[in-house]
This record gives sequence, C-alpha cells and structure tokens, in this order.
Amino acid sequence: MKVTIDGRELEVENGTTILQAAQKLGVDIPTFCYHPGLSAPANCRMCLVNTNKAPKLLPACYATCMDGMEVKTNDEKTLRTRKSTLEFILLHHPVDCPICDQAGECVLQDNYFAHSAQPSRNFTRKNHKPKATPIGNNVILDAERCIVCTRCVRFCDEVSKTNELQVVNRGERSFVTTFPGRALDNDYATNTVDICPVGALTSRDFRFKMRVWFLKSASSICSGCSKGCNITVDHGGGNTQRYRPRENQAVNRWWMCDPGRLSYKQFQDNRLTDAQIDGVVHPVREALSAAARRLRSAGDPSKVAVVPSLLMSNEDAVALAVLTKRAGFGGWYVGGRAAGKEDALLQKADKNPNRAGVMAVAKAFGIETNPLTALATAGASATLWFGHEHAVDPKVLAAVQQLSRVVVASNASEWTAGASVSLPSRTFEECSGTWISVDGHLQRFAAGPEAKGASVAIWDLCFRLLRSLGVMDVMPPASPDQVVAEHGQAVPELASMPPALPPAPGRPDQLRKARAA
Amino acid sequence: MDPILAAVLFAIIKISIILLGYVMLFATVLTWLERKYSALIQDRIGPNRAEVAGLRLGGLFHMIADPIKVLFKEDFMPRTENPIMYKMAPWLSVVPPMVIFAVIPFGPGDMFVISNAPLGMLFIFAIAGLGVYGSVFGAWASNSKFALLGGLRATAQMISYEVAMGLNLVGVFMIYESMSLQGIIVEQGETLWGFLPAWGLFLQPVSFILFMASAIAENKRAPFDLTEAESELVAGYFTEYSSMKFALFSLGEFIEIIAIACIASCMFLGGWQIPFVDATGGIILTSLQILAFLFKVFVLVWLQMTIRWTLPRFRYDQLMKLGWLYILPLSLANILATGVWLYFAA
Amino acid sequence: MGYKVARPELNIFEKSYVPEILKGVGVSSRHFFRNIFGKKDIVTVEYPEVKPDYASRYRGHHRLMAREDGTARCVACMLCSTACPAHCITIEAGDYGDTDVEKYPVKFEIDLLVCVYCGMCEEACPCDAIRMDSGIHTPSQMYRKDGRVGKVDLMALGDLSIAKQGGELS
Repeated sequence: MKVTIDGRELEVENGTTILQAAQKLGVDIPTFCYHPGLSAPANCRMCLVNTNKAPKLLPACYATCMDGMEVKTNDEKTLRTRKSTLEFILLHHPVDCPICDQAGECVLQDNYFAHSAQPSRNFTRKNHKPKATPIGNNVILDAERCIVCTRCVRFCDEVSKTNELQVVNRGERSFVTTFPGRALDNDYATNTVDICPVGALTSRDFRFKMRVWFLKSASSICSGCSKGCNITVDHGGGNTQRYRPRENQAVNRWWMCDPGRLSYKQFQDNRLTDAQIDGVVHPVREALSAAARRLRSAGDPSKVAVVPSLLMSNEDAVALAVLTKRAGFGGWYVGGRAAGKEDALLQKADKNPNRAGVMAVAKAFGIETNPLTALATAGASATLWFGHEHAVDPKVLAAVQQLSRVVVASNASEWTAGASVSLPSRTFEECSGTWISVDGHLQRFAAGPEAKGASVAIWDLCFRLLRSLGVMDVMPPASPDQVVAEHGQAVPELASMPPALPPAPGRPDQLRKARAA
Repeated sequence: MDPILAAVLFAIIKISIILLGYVMLFATVLTWLERKYSALIQDRIGPNRAEVAGLRLGGLFHMIADPIKVLFKEDFMPRTENPIMYKMAPWLSVVPPMVIFAVIPFGPGDMFVISNAPLGMLFIFAIAGLGVYGSVFGAWASNSKFALLGGLRATAQMISYEVAMGLNLVGVFMIYESMSLQGIIVEQGETLWGFLPAWGLFLQPVSFILFMASAIAENKRAPFDLTEAESELVAGYFTEYSSMKFALFSLGEFIEIIAIACIASCMFLGGWQIPFVDATGGIILTSLQILAFLFKVFVLVWLQMTIRWTLPRFRYDQLMKLGWLYILPLSLANILATGVWLYFAA
Repeated sequence: MGYKVARPELNIFEKSYVPEILKGVGVSSRHFFRNIFGKKDIVTVEYPEVKPDYASRYRGHHRLMAREDGTARCVACMLCSTACPAHCITIEAGDYGDTDVEKYPVKFEIDLLVCVYCGMCEEACPCDAIRMDSGIHTPSQMYRKDGRVGKVDLMALGDLSIAKQGGELS
C-alpha cells in the first residue's frame, strides 16, 4: 500500500495508522490522547489531518492508511482545525501553570505554543472542578486542568487492569475521578502521572519539589527489584528528585512500579559521606590503609569473609572478585534484600537488582558462595562487608558484630553501625556500570547526580584496597569498562557488553530545541 | 670653633631647611593641591571631607590625614625572592630627587645653596639616572606580571628620555659657558637689547620645550605615564606596594616635580634673577630674589600639573617615536644651530 | 570588509604639539578658574548631605507583596529564580493543603551580594509578588551570610497588593 504524507511517499502494511506512517517519515503530528502503549480512542481530536479519502478530517492515531491516500498534516485546513481544537480544549483550562508541577513538560503547553499561541476569547467564568484532591497514596488530581484524554482511565483498564478511574459528568463538566469508595492505589498508579499530558494528575512525592526545568536527567536502571526496569534519574540540586520510566520494549515497555519509583529515597537517608576508623572521620586514603591493617591482622586471609552487596554493578563484582582471589580471602556470603511482592506485570520477588551478575562473576572466578546466614557459623575472623541493604538476621548480626569489620556502604544501617573501618561508597545513581536482570538482560546505567562527600566507586575502592594490602602488580583501571575489559573476560555473561548509553531522553522542550538545532 | 665643623654644621642646617622646610612641605602640599586642582579642572569638588573641629578648609586637612592613614595601613608584602630589593625600591625612587636639591641655588651667592658645585648639572644627571633603579627593583622584586611590565616600560622610557634631556641642556651650557647652576643663573641676569632678560627661555626656546617634555617623561607622569597605565597594568611597577612604601613612590614623584621645576627655572627662567635687576646684595633684594625663584618654581609646577590633567596618555609606540625620532634629533639640531650661531656671533 | 577612515590632516602647528598643548592648558585653566570662583560647572552631588533624585523606576531592595490576609502573594512558581541571570533567588515550595492557594514559599531567599538588580524577577513574576520599588539602596553587610535576605525581611518591606491575577473574573 502506498500513502503520501506531505508529498512524501511511503510503503506501509495494511492496518498501519496514519500516525504510525507519519512517525516513520519523521512527520510530527501533535497528539494528546494517543499513547503507543494504550488503545486509541481518538477523543482529543488534536491529530486530525486532511486526507483525500474523506470529506472531513481524519484522526491520524486511529484512521488506518488506505492505498493511494494523500495526507496533508500542515495545510491550512488542518492547521485551522488544530487551532480550534486547542482553543476548545483550553476553554475551561485554569492556566495555573505557575503552580502546576507539569509546567515545562506539559504537552498542552507545548502544543499551545506550537499550534495556537492566541489569547483566550472566553469572557464567561470558567468551570470550577475539584482541585488538589488526593485520589491515591501517590497521585493528586486537579480536575480543572484535565483535558479528558482518558489516558489514565485506559491505563488502569488495560495495563494495570485495576479499573479505578472513570470519567464522570458530561460535556464541559466532565472530568476524571475514581469510582466512589475506591482509591487509585495500585502498584502502578504513578504511571498515570507520567502519561497524563497535562497537570491533572501529579505525583504526591514530587509535588512542588522542583520545577522540571531545573532537573538534569541520566539514563539508569531501577534498583528496586531484579526486573531491571529502564528509568531516567531526574536529579537537581545534587540530589535525585524522581525516577521516570524509560521505554524499553524488552523489559518494562513504558512503565514502572510505584515501589521502584520511590526506591531512590533509601539512598538519601543516613548517607555515609566520610571514611571512618572506629567511628572517627579520616581521609579515605588513611581509612584504606587502616582497613588493610585490620584485614591483615586477622591472620589467615582465608578466614576473612567477604559479603558482596547485590546492588554492586558487574564491574564492582569483578573488582571484588579480583580482590578476593589476589588477597586470598575466603568465600562470598551472599545476602541481599528480603524477597517481596511479585506480580504478573513488572514486580519481581527478588528485590536485588544484580543477584544474577554477582553470582555469575563468583562462578566465573571460582569463588565459593554461601548464603549470608552461614556466616554466623563460619568461624570467620574478620569480614569485608559491602552494602547496607541486606535483610536483617539477628543471629548473623550478632555474629558479625563480634568480628573485625571493614564496611563499604553508601548509607548507614544496622550492618554498618560499629564497623572498625567504614568506607563510603557511591550509590548506583552516582556510578556508571551494568547489571544483569533476573531475565538475563545485561543493561547499562549512567551516572546521574554528583557523588556525595568523599564517596568512591566500589570497583575503585577494591583496587585501591588491593594495593593497600600490598598487591602491587595490579594496575588500578581508570574506568568501570576497563575493569571488565582487563579482568572480566572470564565471565561469559559479560562477554558482550551493551553499547554506551545515548544521552538521557530529555523533556519535550529539550527535544524540541534539539530538533530545531 | 673649628671652621670645618662649623661648615659641616652650617651645611646640615641648610640641608634641613631646604629639604624639610621647603621640599617636603611643598611635596606634601602638592599631594592635596594636585587632587584639588585636577578636581576643579574636571568640574568636580575634590578632597573635602577631612575636618578638624568642624573646619574643612576645602579639604586642606587631607594632607595631614593621608600620611596618617598611609602610615597605619597594613604593609602587605608579596611572596618574593628579593625582599631586600623590594624594601629598597621605594627609597631608590625617593632619595635621588631629594639629592638633586644639593646643587640648586635658591638665592645669590654660596649662602643659599647647599653645594655650589662647578659641575652641578653633571651631578644632577648622574643622580637623576639612579631614579630608574627604584622602578626596576620594585618591579622585579614584586614578583608580579603587571609590576614587571611596568618596570620594563619604565626602564625603556627613562633611558630614552634621559639622553634627550641631557642633550637639551647642552645648548644652555654652550651659551652661558658654564655647567655650574649658580654660574648659569648669574649669566642670565643680563638684559638683551634693552628689554628682554637674557633667560634660557628666550635664547633656547626649543630647548626649553624639549626639556620640559623629556623631564615630564622622565618623571613618568601623564601624558607619559605608561609605566603605571592603570587601564593596562593596574598600577605598573608599584602594583604590589602598599602602605608607606607606596606613599614613598608617590612622594618621590612629587619631589621630582619640584626638582624639575627648580632645574628648569635655573636653566631657562633665570633662577633667582629678577628681570632688569642686575644686582645682588642687601637683605631686601636677596629676599625678593629668593621669592622670585620660588615663584618661578611654582609656575613650572603649575605647568606640569596642568599638562598632566590636560593631555591623554600616549601610546607606547608614539612615546618611543616621540623620544627617538623627534626630541633627540631636534635637540641635536639645536646644539648644531647654537654652535653655528655662537661661531658667527663671536 | 573594512573601510578606510578619513583621518584629519594635521598642519605643521598641530603636528608640533606645542600650540595645541597651550590651547589645552587654556581649557583646563578656564575650567579651574570658573570652578574656583563660583563653582559654576561642578556637577558633584555631596551625597550624604544632598540626596540625588531617584528615577521613578529605580530598582532597589526587593520586597515581597502580601495578600489581604497578610500571607505572601508569592506562589513559589520559581519563575523569578528561573529568570534570574545571577541565580541569586532560592525558593523552597510548600503545600498549604488548601485547594484555593495550593503552593506557597516555605523559604524565599535572595542573596543580595549575588543579585545584579536587573529587575528580571519582577518582570517574570506573574503574581505581583516580588517588587524592586522600595527605593532602598543595596544595604551593606558585615558578613556574607547577612547578604542572604529571607522571606520575613522581604515581607517586612512589602505592602498590600490587590492586583488581580491575569484574566481572573470575580
């Protein structure tokens, strides 16, 4: 089938919508209600285009291509219709952009400036609807801003299949709300905030925290569970401000769960920013020598129990494996977060993002792995401990507190309290690296916010500790990629590393600027 | 009393009176006068804030307030390899202009001159040549790029103009057949053709103009202040100086203004000579002659100040061009013309 | 392409500098004598005793305007800190929990030492909340931290503003 869009011909298969064909050609058709992951109701009328097959304009998101169809997306009729549609949508919109969290990444703002940009001709009072109404634990509804595109309703019907939302009332008084007595509190509720083209649904967590144009973005992976959902880390003011899902059809499509979305908080409380020796702050360099002295004074190095963190990247794990082998330490005692909720959509029971990777590295290096509970009876004399996130087991905790402990962690927890030497590590957000998800996807994440305080990446700490222990023939690599290239060749899972990440997908205004450039 | 001891005591008294009673006092007044004068030229008010018991006197107390302030300011010293050189530099720029007054006659006879040296002008040239060390030492020891650049400029400029300054006076020496200042002044007491004093100004007008130009350049004042061009070099060779050390540099500059005015009035304006009065002796006449000298000096100081606040700064290439391509050849031509004239007049 | 600037040709007198210098000395002296006898041309304003007249649009110390109930008009939209070329405005937004006025500034801080007094903030403000019309000079501070002026001080300078929000019909 042949279609012509704005004078450019394209061969498409039967059933392709005009919008899909236009996207293939790179022709921009503005939309509100269309989302590739949801059904197309064609109710916003923003994507109406002029064709030679119908007397009236056709919605591009819904109408399929016909043979010989000629589509015009920027002729006078289409542009006039778009302008009218926007004026209609904006008729009762409160235009409270200054206090709206969506401002800056608002599709309505962008489309208004691109296609309408005219002052309001409305001289009557605007309709008033519920404002700032919490409709769930994570979502706030402002019905005045709603343009009734029903993306959120369709999301709850089609993706989360929880059916909390509906459109009530008719005509200009219609707005989205929950069914009586129900709250939008499913585990995927905040995705409705992401897909809401305007500020009708906003996140309670991100509410008023920061204007979006102050945020910088980094492509990353969610650390909440072992699914490995692709996310964008939005950070500003030196801190992570929110996670947003990043499209990856193989893993998470467009979505992510709310527990994962809020998992950035666990890296913000009780952050360890300085190295400590017996609770006293020291420079990292001195703490490393102290750590080496403590580990050596434990006597037989094989009595030193190594506890890897399952938040470590593969690069960190390789570095730790090199350290374990060269220093002659004993086996790894693998702990990690306790198992949690699993569902059919995205959440996995194993809440550790890189168990697969750490285990693969241990296996390839021939390091014996035991469960963390075995540490209580292992008879170790000292321990090299990574991570703060391990599930608390009172018996292990009591046993570990008897040992001389070198703890490498990004945050304080029961496990880091009372360590002989404590070294600050960076969180995964602050490092680049790779993880292997439970489904075997080897995925890369990029560094977002700047590292806090004196914190050092774990792979770097491992190689520096190795030198402090007197092993001088291993050159510390300069980057995590070099760690894998030089030491990780034995790990079959790391044989083909994913390519470097492209810059994080920006907000609509950044994309528009990039297109214009 | 031992006559030698008496002579030494007498010399010390003269030095004290001339240096402390006249030069230092005048230089101090100049610090206020220059600011007030420039302000009035530029339609400003100038220093007017310092007051004693409600009296302001047009800011006259600034000349007391400023030294007090400068003495009590922090004497910051940059990290330098040559601290001795650094401390020496201000003195090297303030002492030579003071030493020049040793041969300046303030009145007729041996009474009003510290040393009536027969080759007084050569002594002046020798001493004036030392002035450059102040700026060079200060610039080098300051350990600063701006100071070094300023010092380099100062060296080049002072050497260029010293040559011209010396050559300009050769014509005067030839006419008056003397190199003693007192001798030259005595010669200027005559009257030419019955109405014109036989001053250097009238016999050597080109020489006078060129001498004043090169003397101002030698003193590194506008329009020749490239060494401290503040738009380019912060403050030139004394960028890193503060407190009294900085004040010594500017004090040296003011003393040099007076010294130049003294030399020029001796050479070109007849020194203590009052026009048409070719006589000496008597307390009243001598006092009048001393006053005449001081008046001439004041007029030349005024001229230097007015020129400074009138003309913009030269460009560096213009400065070098003016020195080497115009002033130097012109002064050589002046010597030649004077020689030819003297040959035929004799 | 450059073009040749017509330079004035100097005659021999002008080239010799001397008559021109004397003319300049004449100009300087004229000013001197005019000013010493009568201060005719002096433009200096003797500041603490004599105050110059400020332009009616003089941009001075910032102030935050208040609503009728005494709260700050600011809704913490951060447009001022976005527009600020010096990044001197720090705002932390908070939630009133009121559907009428949702957002308010928990912290509103201007670093007067960083501020360049360009007036972009009052241009950007959609609520007539920040103004620079107090007519107060930049105050001087003993310590740098004193240059950071908070919401309380800015409100103290402020006043009631009854400006209506754009397009609002009552």
